Amino acid sequence: MSVPTSFRQQLLGTIPRLRRYARSLLIDAAAADDLVQTALERALSHWHQFDQQRDILVWVISIAHNAHMDTLRRSGRLTIVDPHELQAEQDRRGSDPGADVGLRMDLVAALQRLPVEQREPLLLVSVEELSYAECAEVLRIPIGTVMSRISRGRAALRALLDGRAPTPAVQPLRRVV
Amino acid sequence: MAAPFSTPDERDDTLSAWLDGELPPERRAEVDAWLQANPEEAARVRLWAADRDALRARLVSALTEPVPDRLQQLVWQHAPEAAMPWWQGRGQWAAAFVIFMLGGLIGAGAAWRAQPGRALVAQAPAGSWVQRAALAHSVYVPEQRHPVEVAVAGKTAEESRAQEEHLSRWLTRRLNVPVKLFDLREQGYELVGGRLLPDGAGAGPGAQLMYQAVGGTARVTVYLRKPDEAAPAAFRFERDGDVNLFYWVEAGTGYALAGSLPRGQLLALAEAIYRQQPAASAPAASPSK
Repeated sequence: MSVPTSFRQQLLGTIPRLRRYARSLLIDAAAADDLVQTALERALSHWHQFDQQRDILVWVISIAHNAHMDTLRRSGRLTIVDPHELQAEQDRRGSDPGADVGLRMDLVAALQRLPVEQREPLLLVSVEELSYAECAEVLRIPIGTVMSRISRGRAALRALLDGRAPTPAVQPLRRVV
Repeated sequence: MAAPFSTPDERDDTLSAWLDGELPPERRAEVDAWLQANPEEAARVRLWAADRDALRARLVSALTEPVPDRLQQLVWQHAPEAAMPWWQGRGQWAAAFVIFMLGGLIGAGAAWRAQPGRALVAQAPAGSWVQRAALAHSVYVPEQRHPVEVAVAGKTAEESRAQEEHLSRWLTRRLNVPVKLFDLREQGYELVGGRLLPDGAGAGPGAQLMYQAVGGTARVTVYLRKPDEAAPAAFRFERDGDVNLFYWVEAGTGYALAGSLPRGQLLALAEAIYRQQPAASAPAASPSK
């Protein structure tokens, strides 16, 4: 069965948003378009799996997310960590007096310093304006996890932009009124 | 007042969800009040919001750049079944192309008949209302949450109809020209809603109607205004960056249709609007010279 024209048209409509999402992940425009191409190819090969009740953008973004994860896994740049380790890792990084700490970081550089586990939900919600539920669907993680990763990501990004090391999570509430 | 959070993590998660509009109404109200009483925390949330806006601004170019040909062709030509005979794939492509060209020709023909003897491509003078229409298009089309001031989507069909009526009446009153909400569903576009816009010094306001591709994300806008006395009525085409525009003056109303669509597709929409626009009450604010 060949791909219906209406599906191709729907898919064409998602390309600008898909390119923005890919660029937010990869920064490099050419690499981002390669990711878009992979996602489009997979979407076309699996068009019959698309449920017309769903938002096609969320569907193709999930495909792009999976493709991105595959690439990271293949290149060994992704290690699956559980959330506690993730936080411990961040604390370690935070206490490491790296070259960037103490300098005000460029937004893109700061974004790149975030672990992908935080960067992705932050971008999906802040830039792509997905709801937490849609974001959870794309990343296949619970909504509560989406919520905490976004808030950690936000705080870490701000800390980097301020030239501070990302604040460790365990920190006394400064002022309880 | 008691802090509505028991741990710093819960506080940050809640404030972050507050910023994303993800809290249920009661919780939201609680946090609103708490932020009022804690300006330092409110300032921290404002910084998060500023970072979010900066990220969006950094990435907006990906939305406005033209889509590379190789990606478009991939979508049109990709045939997952390797066993598909070569001619079948090509045949579909050719058929799509023929349909596309036909659409363009029919549209062009209609426009030509509408304004015989007029140039189709023109350069709009700098600072003209057509440029304001293009600018308003570029500003509001990427908006996800607030693309329009008055949205027509209602929970029920009646509610939607009521919204449409309200929008049409409101814009008609403010523009002092009859504003009709064009039905472009046959062309695959659905009305999202509209907004009122300032239209240059000394002029009354303009209005923008926004349409979105059914099941897609492509959007086109129709800009309407009461034209200047001297506005020529010709049906014209202009390109502003990657935004294509058709504009014309008919029956005392100026129209500009803007979209990042190929000219042929946009022309088909312009033609549909031209057919639906309210008839002149008096002999048209007329073309002549």
